[in-house]
Amino acid sequence: MSLELPVLAQKAGAAIREHTLASGLRVLLVERHLDPVVAVMLWYRVGSRDEDERNAGVSHFLEHMMFKGAAHFGKGEVDRVTTLLGGSNNAFTTNDHTAYWFELASDRWEAALVIEADRMRSLLLDPAEFAAEKAVVLEELSMGLDDPWRRLTELAQESVFGRHPYRRPIIGHADALELLTVEDMRAHYVRHYRPDNSILVVCGDFEPVRALELVEKHLGGIAPPRVAEVEPFRPLPTEPPGEKRLSMTWDDEGQRLCMVWPSGAVGSAEDWVLDLVTTILTGGRLSRLHRRLVLEQGLATTVSTQNDARVDCGAFWLMAEGAQGVAPAKLEAAIDGELARLRDELVPAKELERAKRILASGEAYESETVSDLAEEIGEFAIDADWRMSLETMTHIRAVTPTELREVARRLLVPERRVVAWSLPKSTARAKAKVKASKQTRRTSAVRKSR
Amino acid sequence: MSLAFAPPRSVPDLAIPSERHRLSCGATLIISPRAGAPVCAIQAHVRGGPALDPVGREGLAWLTGALAEQGTRRRTEEQIANLLEPAGGDISGDSTGLAGTIVNGEWELLADLLCDSLIDATYPAEQVRRQRTRVLDRLLLERDDPRQQGGLRFRKLVYGDHWLGRPAYGNLANMARIRPEDLRAHRATNWVAKRGVISVCGDVDAARVKRVFERHLARWKSGTMLATTPPEFPPIAPRVDAFRADRQQVHLYLGHLGIRRNDPDYAALVLMDHVLGTGPGFANRISRRLRDELGLAYTVHAAIHSSAGILPGLFTAYIGTSPQHARTAIEGFKEEIRRIQTEAPSVEELELAKAYLLGSFPMGFERASRRTGYLVAAELHGFAPDHLTRLLHEFAAVTPEDVRRVAERHLHPAASCIVAAGPLTREELVAIAGVPTRPAPRERAARASTAPR
Repeated sequence: MSLELPVLAQKAGAAIREHTLASGLRVLLVERHLDPVVAVMLWYRVGSRDEDERNAGVSHFLEHMMFKGAAHFGKGEVDRVTTLLGGSNNAFTTNDHTAYWFELASDRWEAALVIEADRMRSLLLDPAEFAAEKAVVLEELSMGLDDPWRRLTELAQESVFGRHPYRRPIIGHADALELLTVEDMRAHYVRHYRPDNSILVVCGDFEPVRALELVEKHLGGIAPPRVAEVEPFRPLPTEPPGEKRLSMTWDDEGQRLCMVWPSGAVGSAEDWVLDLVTTILTGGRLSRLHRRLVLEQGLATTVSTQNDARVDCGAFWLMAEGAQGVAPAKLEAAIDGELARLRDELVPAKELERAKRILASGEAYESETVSDLAEEIGEFAIDADWRMSLETMTHIRAVTPTELREVARRLLVPERRVVAWSLPKSTARAKAKVKASKQTRRTSAVRKSR
Repeated sequence: MSLAFAPPRSVPDLAIPSERHRLSCGATLIISPRAGAPVCAIQAHVRGGPALDPVGREGLAWLTGALAEQGTRRRTEEQIANLLEPAGGDISGDSTGLAGTIVNGEWELLADLLCDSLIDATYPAEQVRRQRTRVLDRLLLERDDPRQQGGLRFRKLVYGDHWLGRPAYGNLANMARIRPEDLRAHRATNWVAKRGVISVCGDVDAARVKRVFERHLARWKSGTMLATTPPEFPPIAPRVDAFRADRQQVHLYLGHLGIRRNDPDYAALVLMDHVLGTGPGFANRISRRLRDELGLAYTVHAAIHSSAGILPGLFTAYIGTSPQHARTAIEGFKEEIRRIQTEAPSVEELELAKAYLLGSFPMGFERASRRTGYLVAAELHGFAPDHLTRLLHEFAAVTPEDVRRVAERHLHPAASCIVAAGPLTREELVAIAGVPTRPAPRERAARASTAPR
């Protein structure tokens, strides 16, 4: 076979081509010759979004099991072969997708295709390996439970996404993981690990015709299984009825604040606007919140925001660590002041232009290595459309001060948000004494153990 | 299989092309042009670091670097941020100088701002107060953080009163004492050109880079080279410490004083590490046993080469695990260490580690900041221009017996320090680890003779 594919676009010195195999596997060839290296990323459209209460965490656990043996590459063989070839590999699971990556020298990247084909076709899921790896996943979960920020954001996430699966942590909960069986995982694997549910990105120093021949040779023969698509219950969050306040305690002196608002899906009009909002609020030393909270008033030691746009819907996060001795209410009031300013006033043209320049210059870092570039393109491809990775700055440059104010007015209002605090145990005890008789809407602290 | 997986037979040639200059001010400038690179990185290293902290002002050297880009004679903090941030630029500092990156086309701006901060930082009182307060807040949180405390206590057990045994940013009491004039004096005295090594990597014209740095650093005080004194550390002997905290996992650190980078056994120890406890995936012995087979942990590793510097690094075996697994984990570490000391690794194991190192080294230099970091390190250690290729040949020449020999010489499982941070008391740790509860007589004597104060 010899197939010449047209170059559809250029990005960061790379030529992008696309082809879909008969099996439905979409292939993106991103050719760049800066270094003699090739990144191979295989993306599956499956994550915690595709789980229910009973099998929560299975996508992430399955990601671990993909290194535990398939028909040709037994337990540990993926790592052994990668090591032998002087490469690196890993994988990650998000709410919406699971991705596997290899970075190998350009004279031996074909190995990644052979490995991916093997584990897409014939994962073993050996019961003994399943049991051993479950212990590892439970240790990973324990590690997360020891992180106060992780506990706090999971607490807030549980509230902001209503009944949508996004409310659950990607790693799942210990009780569900304990009960998970090999059969549960196999069903999940068969349903989602199929060529027509995946996208392959090959990025770096290769010859495109030869690359496509190799992809066809190793992955072309895998037919999608005949499995009925079972969509989990995924109701979109309804408009919040009012502000929700949560709190937990932690045995250190930290005052950690997490605010989160429901927002739009990846690629929605508000997605681009919220990228700008994050930059205006916390992008750099002169951003509004950093300047006011950290530099001018000393109310916080750190403050950050994140536009977390997902496939079905998104969330806008704001996190701040209060300075010692600062009353939580004072920190909140200062944040509220800046958010109100964003809703009430138009962002000056100069400030907006500065934020756009910061976002534009950030693109250089998103493509410095072939793995950076493969991830940037692949993530847009699996969640929406890879062309979005080219159009981001076009959308962002088009945002006007009026649009930005409109999105802030519509989304970033107190009535729509969840406010979660993690406070020192000592502070919480003192407060509890004072307010013992008052009814609040707060939930109880996160349990230490299950 | 449709594909035979075999590593390349030959040892590749590897070099980071660069040119080295001595600037008029006395600093060394190393330039590594790289056509098409999207990002430019600059690192300005100044010899000295935390070793120059005065007694009672520990953290001064670190704060000197951390605050250097927050105001100079020519520019305020706001003016610097206004120029740098829209160009995708960033400068950060620590006790060893400054480093920055920027979108490639703007490298001259980064060079200007970084040089300005290097020689003309003013340390405005407000910025100093603010940064000090933030560090104090951070120290307060670290005081209760088991992971942080475990790491700090491990270093303290191994390095004792040497500056390597404390955090570069000092402690609560000392940080509160540091004043702006201390920072200005430290910079003026210690950040001098003769101690400076600057590396630049990006899509740049080398001649222009040299002209730009000559111009910006023409006023940099030449100063003198650093006088060094031989370090003194406690002897390698078993010591334990614990930080009790109510958490799900306990962080366990086991190890002792490591090696210098110029140790003749360095290449063999890199191979030993990859057989024993580091490398990609979970192909090494400790990961395979403690993670893959026993399911004790998500994070587990052990290495001696990665912290080797001009001064000795550490041999550290680390695991984060549930407290009921602590005994198994410590025993597992010790058994694997003893095994590699007594049995040479199989040819297959060693060839796997060699294949990885020979194959992966050329891929480790994609990022501009990685290149500048290597070029500074090469200058500090006095590596020859063909160092990387020579190192690969040294890796290729290591035998299984070499690995066993260096493991026997450099690893001391019975004399390891052990720290637990999490839901374990010191008494529980002592019972689990089976180490003496009091310093050995030899250790006590050595400590008395080397006590610096």
